Amino acid sequence: MPYHALRSFVMSSAECRRSVRTVASICSAHFHSWPSPSNPSPLLRPTNRLGSLATWERATPRRSFHSSPPTRHNEVKRPEPGSGITVHFKDAKGTLLKTVEANEGDSILDIAHEYDIDLEGACEGSVACSTCHVILPPEYYDLLPEPEDDENDMLDMAFGLTDTSRLGCQVKLTKDLDGITATLPSATRNMFVDGTKPTKH
Amino acid sequence: MSRPLKLAVIGGGPSAFYVASRLLSLVPQSSATPLNIHLYDKLWAPHGLVRYGVAPDHPEVKNCVHKFDGAALDPRLKFFGNVSISSKPSSLPYNINHPLSALYPYYSHILFSSGCPIPTANPVLPFENGKCVPALSLVHWYTLHPSSLQNRLPSMKSTSHVTLIGQGNVSLDIARILLGGAGRLEKYDVPESVLQVLRESDIRHITIVGRRGPAEVKFTAKEVREMMTLEDVAFIPIEDTVLSEARNHDLSRQQKRIMELLKAGSKAKPGTTKKSWSLEFYRLPHGFASNSSGQTLSLDVTALNPSRTQAVSTGVTTSLKTDLVVTSLGHTIDPSNPAPSQFYNMDLGRMRTSTAHRGRVVIPSSPNSDATSGEALTASAEERLVKNMYASGWAATGARGVLAATLIDAHAVAESILSDHFSASTKSQSESTSLLNPSPHLSDPPPFISSALAEGRITSYEDWKVIDAEEVRRGQVKDGKERERMDWEEVLRSGLIRRT
Repeated sequence: MPYHALRSFVMSSAECRRSVRTVASICSAHFHSWPSPSNPSPLLRPTNRLGSLATWERATPRRSFHSSPPTRHNEVKRPEPGSGITVHFKDAKGTLLKTVEANEGDSILDIAHEYDIDLEGACEGSVACSTCHVILPPEYYDLLPEPEDDENDMLDMAFGLTDTSRLGCQVKLTKDLDGITATLPSATRNMFVDGTKPTKH
Repeated sequence: MSRPLKLAVIGGGPSAFYVASRLLSLVPQSSATPLNIHLYDKLWAPHGLVRYGVAPDHPEVKNCVHKFDGAALDPRLKFFGNVSISSKPSSLPYNINHPLSALYPYYSHILFSSGCPIPTANPVLPFENGKCVPALSLVHWYTLHPSSLQNRLPSMKSTSHVTLIGQGNVSLDIARILLGGAGRLEKYDVPESVLQVLRESDIRHITIVGRRGPAEVKFTAKEVREMMTLEDVAFIPIEDTVLSEARNHDLSRQQKRIMELLKAGSKAKPGTTKKSWSLEFYRLPHGFASNSSGQTLSLDVTALNPSRTQAVSTGVTTSLKTDLVVTSLGHTIDPSNPAPSQFYNMDLGRMRTSTAHRGRVVIPSSPNSDATSGEALTASAEERLVKNMYASGWAATGARGVLAATLIDAHAVAESILSDHFSASTKSQSESTSLLNPSPHLSDPPPFISSALAEGRITSYEDWKVIDAEEVRRGQVKDGKERERMDWEEVLRSGLIRRT
């Protein structure tokens, strides 16, 4: 079942009620980062959960889908609408998931995470896995420099490998890649975030 | 409020965490379905093979733990370390031990992510004489795995030649660690005691033996490339006839690239280096004899069937003098733990799972079968789904696949768990009645877990993060080493696990 359908399955109107949560219960919820020697008593920062109580979009902080502290990924800034490099993300069946804009130098993996596309990056862009494998259209694939040995070594093991496959973390966007489509491979089983509009209850 | 999903996960490694992470992200905290996930691991530290299997000089793979840390921030997830869920006493002295059935009243669902902990043995290469060890014991040694306390590795001091049986990445990892020298490992997380042994070791040659040919090797290009570029280590070239014969077959992209690397050989030319390694093809261990002058491994020359899937002895044997034999033949499951024997397929070395319903555990449905009877059946008779029980990772697929495969499998199993929970449709397969509790306490672990946790005998994820920080700190003071691993006794001595 596609991820977006599964998610709404879970959140169907018969299933869900907006839970009544007091401010106190939210503030007692949990930390945003692990206490560490340099951060022995982290402040309970207010989360956008307070603001999104009225929505179903996300009940947990923005980046928690990828479950890593915000500093983990390369910080991606969203360009002014209309001024960036357009990237289309599609699922394995060819259905458009999202069309987004990126800046020069952003990698497809970074963009996917910024816009909550269901593309994993287990090794976080260090060419040590194949979980960010994407399939590109031939005309865009040919514009890119050849993969290095290390990327090819990881692509060897990617599921659903094609002649125009690349690791998303190694594809850095440039102006001439405007309009590129990144297709999630078929072995990434139907998982993608839909950007469903919240349902008000 | 909807039916609770209170899931006990047996295992706290990457599969367990990927399934848990996926469930937590698919079920918002505001959902009417109370979701709680408790991970149990027999080791005091989480992350399974990521911490105790990935080679020390491959640290990037371990970046995946950041996602696991993120999942553990969710209050619906708890980790309990040092807990052995097993019908027999644990070999780890500090474990709290409980049988699987002890969990049944407290959970509505169980997921087996318990991996394949048993190294596959070769009956002609017994481990008792001390000169033949499973590769896993070396991996445990250089990762300071708790079981290494019980392992007795032979001294490496008089070890000049090592033979590895099995041509997979574990063999290459071990060859690289043993031959590459301590210097290149110092910045990673190899324990000081291991580095010391490596500094004093005088291993000159490693032979890696496989029963089939170059086209059938299981190691991958990255690891071959690393071996070929090791300083002061030469690869003894493969005979042209062996290579060209292998290239006559239909090779995949991956195989072609590996063959090219094997043909190109090492950066360091043979004869110019102190250390070397080689690959022996079409050889199957026949016997291993120890006498006063050393060890001799006798190997059968093999021939392959037309499809190249089977290697049979031709009757011709060769022999190899060696100081240490390490078998690296893959892994399999413990046939009766943590689940009842009926849940396992010993022919395949994994749990029985449904082909139609991803991740669902099945048992043979012969007339007298029920989920608690003791026999492990290998025939695949009619199978029944075991209600609310799932398996993921190597426990379900067998011991194959790197992190990407684990991730994809985990996502599929998480989807299976949720669609079963939320859908009212009847299954195409018959299903046993549930052994679990459809209305457990929503978030508490069993009282025997809470009490052991309160006594400090069980580690929580918070405990792990404190120890994690300390390991990193201890590494920092050693010239910026990635971390200095601690064992359980050091953890206890450090007083880091605080209990009120």
